[in-house]
Amino acid sequence: MSDIKERLSALYDGELDSRDVDSVLEELEADKNLQKTLSLYSLIGLSFANESKVTDMDKFKAKKNKNIFANIWVTNSLTAAASIILTLFIINYADLSRMNISIDSTNKIASAVNSREAKEIVANSDQFLVDHIMNVINDPSFMNSNPIDLRNVGYTSSGGQNIGYSRGNEKFKLRIENKNFGLKKIRYWKHGNKMIYVVPISNGRVVTLYGNISAASAIEIANSINQ
Amino acid sequence: MNKNSNNNDSELIEKVKNGNEGAFNFLMNKYYPRVYASLLSFTKSREDSEDIAQQTFLKVWQQISTFRGDSAFFTWVYRIAINLAKNYVASSSYKKQRMNTSIEDGEIEIRSYEDSELNLIHEESMKDIQNFINTLPESLKTAFSLREHDGLSYEEISKITETPIGTVRSRIFRAREAVVDFISTELKSYE
Repeated sequence: MSDIKERLSALYDGELDSRDVDSVLEELEADKNLQKTLSLYSLIGLSFANESKVTDMDKFKAKKNKNIFANIWVTNSLTAAASIILTLFIINYADLSRMNISIDSTNKIASAVNSREAKEIVANSDQFLVDHIMNVINDPSFMNSNPIDLRNVGYTSSGGQNIGYSRGNEKFKLRIENKNFGLKKIRYWKHGNKMIYVVPISNGRVVTLYGNISAASAIEIANSINQ
Repeated sequence: MNKNSNNNDSELIEKVKNGNEGAFNFLMNKYYPRVYASLLSFTKSREDSEDIAQQTFLKVWQQISTFRGDSAFFTWVYRIAINLAKNYVASSSYKKQRMNTSIEDGEIEIRSYEDSELNLIHEESMKDIQNFINTLPESLKTAFSLREHDGLSYEEISKITETPIGTVRSRIFRAREAVVDFISTELKSYE
């Protein structure tokens, strides 16, 4: 038994002889205890990986009741969304316990992996649009673009590189893309006290408006650009 | 995880590309905790993190043929998870896109994690594990630390410690097993 576990350990480290890989995988498939061992190796590895990220652990008083306490700092490296998601969170015991996937759930996942529905989910992913929105939020220069004359709908533009448009209380920036992200309807997001509208217009383009502006105004502006 | 562990997944990845489900399960078990933990920090939602993690590995399975090895495997997996998480943040229709899990016959079995195995990831257990590792014989502790902390290959550890690679492998395994035993006998009491 220890031999297979030693080989499993080596495979986990990517150091197992190629000739032995298949046999370990086969034994792993058939042995639930071995699967559990692999899970523990992985979780120990995670603990070590996070060790360097642990910040001021001692500031957190250890709870007497270990059943209800568990804390670990995890650095959120997803900086693209840093402005709308906190960068550090405490994962507590309850959260981590949720890492368990029940056998029933596992089987359902297995059933879904090659399903038509699952493939459609992947195919319909609008990650490009999401990247676009993330750029709007996080890149101050992203919305800088060539000036567009919006005086026909009552908006004046500020000069310089950092072009903005205003009418009364409405202030926003605007950008036109020569791609439509597959949009057929207006999509909008709220970011702080600002709005982001992505409006499909003619010739497969979209106009993005970001700022203090109403949906009606965004549509009005998009229509004026269409004309 | 560490650099060598990431870089040396190539053989398993090739097997997955050839449809080897065992290799896929191995890689998923290896990386699921990291993906899940990252997603949890992003979404703050356990349920959504599970959904996205599952979708991540679903995409990994479906798109593994496109992985060219230009980056470490985990980097590629992580990128998929990030994109799905961004989607989650920005898309109000995300919840409508959750995976339908009540369909057709399965071809891939995805292993599960036991609650008890996850309990070790908390402050006190982390400290206990570190304290325990410090009690290991120096030879085991050195090899294990060079592997887990510094991500060195067996060959690199072999040169540093001036011991045969087979001995390095054995020491790392014995250290790992000692930690597993420690978790099983001591930390289970935390439940």
